[in-house]
Amino acid sequence: MSNEPLEGIGLVSADLSDTSGDIAYIDTETRLRLYRKMYECRVLEQRAYDLFMQNLVKGTSHLALGQEAVAAGFGIAMRHDDYTFCTYRGHNHTYVRGVSMSAILGELMGRECGLLRGKGGSMHLTSVEHGAMGSYAIIGAHLPVAAGAAWSAQYRGTQQVAVCFFGDGTTNIGAFHEALNFAVIWKLPVVFVCENNLYMEYTPIEAVTAVKNPAADRAAAYGLEPILIDGNDVDVVYETAGAALSRARKGDGPSLIEAQTYRHGGHSRADPGKYRPDEELKAWLARDPIPMYRERLVSLGIDEEALEAIESESDTAIDAATEEARNSPPPPVDIAHIDVWADGSASWRN
Amino acid sequence: MAELTYREAVGEAIAQEMRRDTNVVFLGEDVAAAGGVFKTTTGLLDEFGPDRVKDTPISEQAIIGAAMGASMTGLRPIAEIMFSDFFAVCWDLVANQIAKTRYMTDGQCSFPLVLRSANGGGSRFGAQHSQSVENWAMAIPGLKVVAPSTAADVKGLLAASVRDPDPVMFFEQKSLYAVKGEVPEGEHVEPLGVATILRPGTDVTIAALAAMVPRALKAAETLQEEHGVSAEVVDVRCLVPLDTRTILESVSRTGRFMTVEENPRLCGWGAELASIVAEELFWDLDGPIVRVTTPHIPLPSADALEDAVLPSPQRIVENVKRLVD
Amino acid sequence: MNVLMPQLGETVAEGTVAAWHKKAGDEVAKDEILLDVETDKAATEVPAPITGVITSVLVQEGETVDVGTVLAVINGPDAAETETETRITREEGDSTVLSVTMETGVVEKLPGDPPAAAARFSQAGQRLKLSPVVRRLIAEHRLDAQVIPGSGRDGRITRNDVMAFIEAGPGEVAAPRVTEVSVAPAAESAAPGVQVPADRPRPAPAQPAAQTFSDGDRVPFDRIRRVTAEHMVRSKATSPHVLQAVEVDFSAVDRVRSRYRESWRADHGFSLTYLPFIARATCLALRDFPRLNGSVDGDALVLHKRVNLSIAVDLNFEGLVAPVIPDAGGLTVSGLAHRIHSVSARAREGQLTPDEFTGGTYTLSNNGSFGTLLTAAIINQPQVGVLSIDAIKKRPVVVESPAGDSIAIRPVGILSQSFDHRAVDGSYSAAFLHKTRTLLEDKDWSAEL
Repeated sequence: MSNEPLEGIGLVSADLSDTSGDIAYIDTETRLRLYRKMYECRVLEQRAYDLFMQNLVKGTSHLALGQEAVAAGFGIAMRHDDYTFCTYRGHNHTYVRGVSMSAILGELMGRECGLLRGKGGSMHLTSVEHGAMGSYAIIGAHLPVAAGAAWSAQYRGTQQVAVCFFGDGTTNIGAFHEALNFAVIWKLPVVFVCENNLYMEYTPIEAVTAVKNPAADRAAAYGLEPILIDGNDVDVVYETAGAALSRARKGDGPSLIEAQTYRHGGHSRADPGKYRPDEELKAWLARDPIPMYRERLVSLGIDEEALEAIESESDTAIDAATEEARNSPPPPVDIAHIDVWADGSASWRN
Repeated sequence: MAELTYREAVGEAIAQEMRRDTNVVFLGEDVAAAGGVFKTTTGLLDEFGPDRVKDTPISEQAIIGAAMGASMTGLRPIAEIMFSDFFAVCWDLVANQIAKTRYMTDGQCSFPLVLRSANGGGSRFGAQHSQSVENWAMAIPGLKVVAPSTAADVKGLLAASVRDPDPVMFFEQKSLYAVKGEVPEGEHVEPLGVATILRPGTDVTIAALAAMVPRALKAAETLQEEHGVSAEVVDVRCLVPLDTRTILESVSRTGRFMTVEENPRLCGWGAELASIVAEELFWDLDGPIVRVTTPHIPLPSADALEDAVLPSPQRIVENVKRLVD
Repeated sequence: MNVLMPQLGETVAEGTVAAWHKKAGDEVAKDEILLDVETDKAATEVPAPITGVITSVLVQEGETVDVGTVLAVINGPDAAETETETRITREEGDSTVLSVTMETGVVEKLPGDPPAAAARFSQAGQRLKLSPVVRRLIAEHRLDAQVIPGSGRDGRITRNDVMAFIEAGPGEVAAPRVTEVSVAPAAESAAPGVQVPADRPRPAPAQPAAQTFSDGDRVPFDRIRRVTAEHMVRSKATSPHVLQAVEVDFSAVDRVRSRYRESWRADHGFSLTYLPFIARATCLALRDFPRLNGSVDGDALVLHKRVNLSIAVDLNFEGLVAPVIPDAGGLTVSGLAHRIHSVSARAREGQLTPDEFTGGTYTLSNNGSFGTLLTAAIINQPQVGVLSIDAIKKRPVVVESPAGDSIAIRPVGILSQSFDHRAVDGSYSAAFLHKTRTLLEDKDWSAEL
């Protein structure tokens, strides 16, 4: 049984019309930033795929090709000191916080220039200085952690917000429910974003979930408004993100957003994704967020040259980053024996 | 010096640290309004208010996850897990997330948090509320593990644990909560990673932890008075970081080594110590290394059964006698 | 099984052996009376705990000992030897005390070949449980486990027992009695070598006569000195030593050494000396002359399969130890250089383990650092040969050629072997030395590095 693609823009929470005027419309500069971010995410993720096929990226890698709009929309809407928590499918979420392409590719290839110097790998991309507080490889674990970071911001009175990205499969694990309940009762400044790409690993999410919309249909259980949006429309994502962030910053508590989207590839590199029906795949590919947005921008009168400049700059940037990462050596072996403890050491005895 | 019970020392240590540093916060089930199911944290809510002392729902994963997220963004949380057995409910957050994230992120974050819980048997609570689970934590790289045996050590080591920049699993032995002891007044901090020789001796080194320490001391008295055997008793106190130096120095003098462990037999902390002593002091041993432990069974609940299986002073005495023959 | 001094009363701590009803070598049945013991309050008979043969009697009539002291040892029908004790007793070569053999049943045996006696004893003897610290102390002090009283359960020797035994000092043990052994005059030498008439072992005094010296500072022997002194006296008393030497032209070795000097030092951090080459040549020569890699056991020569090379190391004038390189015959010059360097360094730092002192089959003694000509080394029991390497110096040598004789300057050194004339004769030894020399002078040494 296949999921039908959304028609039109989709439901948006009634609360959105009540939000303050700081996102009354989206200006051209922002739109261009949104487009750039999506395009850069695309070339980055595509390059990761290519390098994997050349056996330069080892282990496993979970690509978010097709899901760029959610990452870009939130990334542009967030404050630089907000916190992001995402899953192992987190290259884009990490990138949009300001991490360099070469650091990400380097980490995937296990090189010294990697974001984690090869100690974490694709599934654990983290850059604390950019507020990217980690990519988490155990389903659901980071939801309570995000709540904790939000609690810390609330306690310190800084108005920072924690944004927590996860997939449709996460809505069925215990930690999801604990974290939502917890965040609501303490009114924590955290935004939970469920990227529903319709498949939990290889299984259609509908087959294993008691409700049709895995996140939106559960919001009421925690006293939250259901928010269900078209995750491939970056303008909608951007507006929804802004509203939820505002709410949290004001002290009005958490939000739960379900963004419907679709991944172009399989669950991980090992999976060609052949379990999805052809018509479904075709329909969603036709709603690829990047060409869709390009069309909209052109129709809004934005100069094509500006878009072409973004595209060629991105292509150049990814090539330069690839070169840098490929030339970086493997990390020195002795770093395997450091940084278990805060003082840099790893010793458990005297 | 004041006389405090082990449980009072818990609250006193937390209060000491919360007064000293406003980043120290405390959360757990029934810890605030009720002062903790073991009454270890009465008075804290009154002194520090609901922003810093917080009751949570029954959500171990959320409690530990929140502690993790808070500690990586500037706070120094103390989280209580009511019974140490319940760590099994949130073990992913402890073992996969907290313990490993600093290493995986190339040192970008650290987790200055304390996870404290009521550990161990002797209270007739049955198998799921009586386990000694220090070894679960000891087996995971990235966690510090502390298990004090006296009220003074509770205060000093809990304070040190809060000040430590790394995640500390702090195991309070519930059967010791009512035991009184002399506790230094004023600010008191004991360093982690130091074992103490509570009773010097010449014929055998007995290493014990938490509730087994008073039993080892009692056995040592009996051994001296009734059998003329001089036993040196070492309170290990901290499994990670482990003070191997004190233990090895002791065994190099006595030539004999015994551990007394409340945990079930397999993979107990004493096995690791036995392995270290066997490898590094082989040529100084005058007899086999003996571990006195609870047998490898879940703990039964009836008094007669539980008392029969937990290591007793009598069993320690018998084992030492056989060893020194 | 040990027969212990019983406790004759609750507050009694010692007892006296009043009378023995049996002696060493006697068969005894379980519960048969062995001896009478008494205190000032009581007397009792001590029965045999098992059936067997009394292998040793350790406390004599009239002696008073602590409760628990081993009075005698009975060998039961199912006693078995342990490798441990065989190694310890044989390698110690220490049979200064009452060695007893089952066969002869003699309490005191002429220590003509003490290692063999000790070996046979332990083969017949019982299983001794020696803890790691006890084994280490026994090895370090070259003691005989069989004669240390054990106060532990079943007569187990505890660490305290060994320490007490050591504190008591060597005066407690009887010195060996030595028979005069006449040595056959040296056989003709087959090669230009030097032979020296064999030593005549003198009877070693059981206790040195009390001599008083009125002048001079008295420097008491430390433990190592005492142990070395005992070992040397015993070795000379055991083996009829013959000294034989050859001159060796080291120019072939020197060429290779010079060529590799810098790179070896740079790669390995220590210098490449003559010793590994000599060690290699010795090992190869021992393949052709295996009797020199043996041990005398009674009236047989045991030929060891492998060459375990003992390297004598001087500890800065404070003593001599000879750690072993096991299976040295399987190592090249390069491998030997490393092992020799490692084992000498660790010997000087006191880091050798007891196992590293055991099992040697032939010894090299490098004496050349002070420029000596040759040395008549003392054999390291129970081996039958030791090779001393003295100074290697430039000397004028005669070089023969079809065109006539000339003089050349070559590095020359003397290798002098002391061999046990029970095992081999002078011609065998000389042929071995000839082979060794030939290897040193003619082998292609660069192939070994």
